[in-house]
Amino acid sequence: MSEIDPAVALRAKRGDEQAFIEIVQFYYPRCLRFARNMLGSDQDAEEAVQDAFVRVHDSFGRFREDARFDPWLFRILANRCRTLLARSRRHRSLIEYGEVPLSAAAPAEDFGADWAEEVRMVLETLPAEQREAFLLRHVEDLSYEDIAAVTGVGLSALRMRVKRACDALRARLTEVEQQNDR
Amino acid sequence: MIDETDELIQRAARSLRALPATNPLATARIIAAVRARRAQAPSRLALVAQWMREPTLSAASAAFLAAAALVVGFVARGAVRTVDGSSPDIATTSEMPLPTGTAPALPTANTRGEGVAVAFLFEARNAKSVAVVGDFNNWDATSSPMKRFGPDGPWTTTVRAKPGRHVYAFLVDGSTVVADPRAPRARDLDYGGDASVLMVTTP
Repeated sequence: MSEIDPAVALRAKRGDEQAFIEIVQFYYPRCLRFARNMLGSDQDAEEAVQDAFVRVHDSFGRFREDARFDPWLFRILANRCRTLLARSRRHRSLIEYGEVPLSAAAPAEDFGADWAEEVRMVLETLPAEQREAFLLRHVEDLSYEDIAAVTGVGLSALRMRVKRACDALRARLTEVEQQNDR
Repeated sequence: MIDETDELIQRAARSLRALPATNPLATARIIAAVRARRAQAPSRLALVAQWMREPTLSAASAAFLAAAALVVGFVARGAVRTVDGSSPDIATTSEMPLPTGTAPALPTANTRGEGVAVAFLFEARNAKSVAVVGDFNNWDATSSPMKRFGPDGPWTTTVRAKPGRHVYAFLVDGSTVVADPRAPRARDLDYGGDASVLMVTTP
């Protein structure tokens, strides 16, 4: 996964607005993808990404010039996503109808489009910390060292989170595929 | 880069990797929010200087000085009239939704004289000029001209307004007044016709 030229991040840190615009344009699609996969809502995702970039701007003074920009940006974005998830959970607790069993899902007809939707639905059933670790590792292609910088969690705990996420996804997606085959 | 995974997990990860298209309006909103923060920033420095000069500044005064940076985003669809009463042609105006939003609260030094920085965003692709007019600038068409964000991007500007209720509109090419359809409507204005209401608040 490509990273922005460190010189651009440095210029942005020193107040160059054009450099900041370059950063927003470069990272916006990746940030929105991560936020959508984390939050499952376009509106919440756009809010999280906008908040994250504003916080990046406000916090540039604390960004070390010898540090890599990617983990720093994703740390801020992941924090925003966690905050929005907590808010969303509080909201959902008021209208909770109980968990719908997976077997109640309608069988897929268009496998390609529905597969992505099934994956997202299964992803949403994972605990947030497992979902976050899985997305950072296998969708955003961050190294475990970078994910540790993003989440503040130790390497062995992160590997365990990713493994548990993969195990849960495998089990549930296998069930989905078996239903689709019937 | 995939480790400890099988074909099923790889396929799931691939389906999640599709990148969303870049929305120029969304990135423009971010830049507008940041510009609003920057417009507040010198005041923060002034606050530090003021505290150094006036170490006895009361907590109540400090609380009063806290203000929000607002971003007003909108889409110009309908609710348009011209100063001379003719029907304007705004067919080139984008139909992309751009929800109104607010940036997080930002402490600032002095809202008493200068007001809160409010960033405005407006899309009118074929416009030659756009200005924001309102009671905060005495409806002066030359007071707050907007600049285009990128070659075909939306128009943006930052204006300072005191906390409270304000009425505003957008003046396109010097003659077309556009009200924000997503904001509360105000009537019987100084400038004539419909415009929009903006509430500037202090946190």
